[in-house]
Amino acid sequence: MNGYFNKVSGKDVEFYEKLLGSKNLSISEEELVTNSIDAYPGMFYKPEIVLWPETSEQVSSILRYSYDRLIPVYLRGGGTGLTGTVPIYGGVLINLVKMNKILTVYEEDMQVVVQPGIVYNTLNKELEKYDLFFPPDPSSGSVCTIGGMVASNASGLKAVKYGTTKDYVLGLEVVLPDGKIVKLGSRTFKYSTGFDLLKMMVGSQGTLGVFTEITLRLKHLPEYIETGVAFFPSIERAVKTVYQIIRNGIDVAAIEFIDEQMIKVVSEFKKLQLPESKAMLLIEAHGTEASVSETMKRCVRIMKDNEAVEIRVAKDIEEREKLWAARKGAYPATLRLGKYMIISDVVVPISKLLDAVLNSYEIGRKYGIEVQVIGHFGDGNLHVHWTSRDDKEKIGLLHQANEMLAKWVIEVGGSVSGEHGIGVEKKKFMKIQHGEAYKMMLDVKRLLDPRCILSPGIIFDLEEVVH
Amino acid sequence: MNEYKYSELMLDEYLEDVWKCIRCGFCNSVCPTSNTSFSYMSSKTSRGRIILLQAYFSGILRKPLRDRELQELLDYCFGCRRCLEVCPPGVRIPYMLWRAKHIGRRHNLLNKLIYSNYGSFEKLCSNFPSLSNNILRSRFGKILLELLVGIDRRIDFPEFHDVSLEKWIRMNRSSTSGKRLAYFIDVFTNYHEVGLGIEVVRLVEKLGYSVEVPDQREAGTLLLEAGMMDKAIKVAKENVESLYKYIMNGASILTSSPAAYIALKYDYPEILGDSKSKLVSEKTLDIIELLIKEYEDGEIRFNEKNSGRIIYHHSCFTKASGLTKHIKRLLTLAGYNLIEVEECCGIGGVWGMSKKHYNDSLDVGSNLFIKLRSLSSPVASQSETCRIQIRNNAKVRVEHPFSYISKAIELK
Repeated sequence: MNGYFNKVSGKDVEFYEKLLGSKNLSISEEELVTNSIDAYPGMFYKPEIVLWPETSEQVSSILRYSYDRLIPVYLRGGGTGLTGTVPIYGGVLINLVKMNKILTVYEEDMQVVVQPGIVYNTLNKELEKYDLFFPPDPSSGSVCTIGGMVASNASGLKAVKYGTTKDYVLGLEVVLPDGKIVKLGSRTFKYSTGFDLLKMMVGSQGTLGVFTEITLRLKHLPEYIETGVAFFPSIERAVKTVYQIIRNGIDVAAIEFIDEQMIKVVSEFKKLQLPESKAMLLIEAHGTEASVSETMKRCVRIMKDNEAVEIRVAKDIEEREKLWAARKGAYPATLRLGKYMIISDVVVPISKLLDAVLNSYEIGRKYGIEVQVIGHFGDGNLHVHWTSRDDKEKIGLLHQANEMLAKWVIEVGGSVSGEHGIGVEKKKFMKIQHGEAYKMMLDVKRLLDPRCILSPGIIFDLEEVVH
Repeated sequence: MNEYKYSELMLDEYLEDVWKCIRCGFCNSVCPTSNTSFSYMSSKTSRGRIILLQAYFSGILRKPLRDRELQELLDYCFGCRRCLEVCPPGVRIPYMLWRAKHIGRRHNLLNKLIYSNYGSFEKLCSNFPSLSNNILRSRFGKILLELLVGIDRRIDFPEFHDVSLEKWIRMNRSSTSGKRLAYFIDVFTNYHEVGLGIEVVRLVEKLGYSVEVPDQREAGTLLLEAGMMDKAIKVAKENVESLYKYIMNGASILTSSPAAYIALKYDYPEILGDSKSKLVSEKTLDIIELLIKEYEDGEIRFNEKNSGRIIYHHSCFTKASGLTKHIKRLLTLAGYNLIEVEECCGIGGVWGMSKKHYNDSLDVGSNLFIKLRSLSSPVASQSETCRIQIRNNAKVRVEHPFSYISKAIELK
C-alpha cells in the first residue's frame, strides 16, 4: 500500500507548529531517528515529524487534521514496547511524555486520574503518600508510561495476585482517529451498561484512539512483604512447586521462574552470587505479618517437598530490591550472552507450564539455537528467550522457533501474548489466535478508523483494514 | 579511510556495546540529563544517544559522527556512570560515548591546552594565591575565564590555598615508618581543599601509616568527558607509571577524591587494559575504605557526641565507586542521623561549569537545591565539584563526609 498516505508537507508542519508552538515539534533528523525504534529488536521506521501535545484538545486537533489529510499518526510513551509499535508508514509521531500529570487523587475512593505520559514508578512514588499503589508492576516500570501500559494491557511480576492493567482501568478519555473526544467507563468498579467499550480500548496498542486521561483504581500498599528464593535440582521440581502453590490457593503476590542459564545472567548483572542450579523460583507474599508468615511457611513446605536445594529469604529491603532489580532486568540482561535474541510472551493454562518449558527447549534443539526461559509462572506467562549469541546467520531460525512455540501454545488453549501485545511482531498469529473473531476486530477498527490513519501496520496489516 | 570506517575503528571494542543495547531505557531512569525540562526530546536522553549510534552504524542516520549537532547531543552525557549500575546487558555507556565524542572533538587551541594541562595550570595559579584569588573573585576575572576557558562567569570557585597539600605533606610529614601510603591527591584537594587533605594525613599518621606524595598529574576525568581520549590515555599512563613504582616498594595508593578513586580503580584499567594499571587498581583504597578497615580491626572507635542530622548527598561518582555503603555506615557510627538525597546536582565535573551547559546543570540540579534548602541541615557530599555546585546554588553548608566522620573518631 505504498503511496496510500500523504507525506507530511511544509504546510502540514506549519499547521502543527501553529497548534503546538515551535518547542513542541521536531523534524530534526536526530529526533526522528530516536523515535523510530522501541525495545523490539526490529528495524528503524522514521516518522516525518515528532509532536509533543500537552492537552487533549491539541491531540484532538492533530488527529482531526491528520485524518483529513490522510497522514498516518503513531503514538509513543516510554518507548519500551517489545513488539514494535513504530511508525512503519512514517507520518506523525505523537510523543505523549509531556502529558505526564496526576490530575486528581480520589484518596477515599482509592482512585487516581492521570495523563498518559506519566511514568509508572513516578506515579507509584507519588501514591505512596496516600498508602496506595497501582499494582501491575511491569519490569520496565522505571521507564514505561501509564498510557503505554493501558495500550498494551501490560502487567508483570505481581499479576498472579493483583491481575493486569485492564483490571484497574475504570475510565478513559479517548481521542478517536477523526478527532472526536469520548469518555468511556465511570468511577465505579461495577457497571452493567451495555457494551464494554472501555475494556475494548485496553490493549488496542494505539490503533483505536489516543488515551488522554486515564482513571485507575488503586490498592492499599501491603502492610508487610516478604521475598524469598528457592533453587531446584530440576525444572520439573520447580514447575511442580509453582503448580502446587497455585492449586492449593496459597496467596502469593509473585512466583517468578528463572532457568539455569538465566540464573547465571541475572546473578552476574546484579552481582548476586546465586548458587548454580537447574531452576530458581522468586516468591513474594503481601499482607499482614501473620498472613505473610503463614503464606511463606506453606510455600517453603511445598518447596522442600519438591527437593529445593536451597531456600533464602531476603533479609532486608535492600536485598529484596536487588533481587527484583535482577529479575526486572533479566530480558535485556540476556544480551550479555550475545547480541541476537528475540523474546516470546506466551501464556498457557498452568497445567501446561511444564510442557511449555520442555517444549521450548526441544524447539531450540531442533533449530540449533539457545533457549532461556523465565516467566511469571503464577499466571502461566512464559518469556522464552531465543538466542543465537553473535551468530547473525541464525536470526531467521530464532523467528521460526518462536513461531513454532506460538502455534503449539494456541493449540493447547493459550495466548501468543500475555502482556507485551501484538505490535508488528505478532500480527501473523492474529488469525490463528482468534479465528472468525479476528474479522470482528477488523470491523471494529474499520468502524472507528475507516481511513486507518491511527497506527497503521500495528496489530493489523494496512491492506486488511483498507481495501 | 572513510569516515564510517574511521568511526568503527575509534569505537574499537565499544562498537560491540552499541549493539548490546536493546533500548530498554533503564539508563534513562537514572541519567541526570534524561530527567530534565529538555529531556522530553528522545535525542536528549541516554537511550537516545545510544539509538543515535545504532542508527549511525546501521546507515540510518545519514550524518557523519563528527557532525556538530550530533556531537552536541552526545555531549549531554557527562559521564556520571549512574547508568552502569542499572544497564542489564552491561553496556559501558560513558566509555562508549567518550570514544564517539573523541571523533567529533572540537576544542580551540587554548581550550585544548588548558584541558590537557589543567593540573599545571592550577599549579601555576597556586604559586600566586592572592593574585589568583583576586582574579577569580573579580567580575573581570570571571569574564576572562568564561571567554578563555568557557567556564560560566556565575560560578564561585573555592580559593587557592596558600600552600599546596603536596608541599604541606613534604614539609610536615611526622612519620616515615609504618605502613606506606602513596597519596594520589588530585588537583582540587591539592590546591583548594588543603585543609581536608591535612586532616586525612594527620589521622592516617596517627593510625601508624606513613604518607608519601608520588609525582602525579591530574586524574584526567575531565579529559575523558571532553572526548580527549589520547590525552587522557597519556595522563593515565604517566600516573600509573609513577604509582606503580610505589606499589613495587610496598605502598598502597590512598585517595580522598571520588574522581581520583574512580580513575585509578576503574577508568585506567579500562582505557589502558595493561597489568600495571590493574595492579594500581587493586592497590588503591579510599580514605573511607581505610577507616572501615581500621574500625573492623578495632583500631578506631567512635564517640557519638556529634549526633545530629546530616543530609547525605549521593554524588554520582560515589555511587559509581561503590563507596556509598561504607560512607553511610561510618556516618551512622559517628552518631549522625542521616537523611539521604539521591538527586544529582548537575555539575558533572567541568560539564556543568561550562557556559554552554551551566543552565542545563541548574535544570538537572533544581530539585536537589530545593530539597536541600527546605531541609536546612548540614550536607555531606564526597565529590568536590558537587560541593561547589551545592554551595553556589543551595547556599547550605556542605563538606566531605570525612570531615564529619573524623570529628567522632577516637583512636584506640
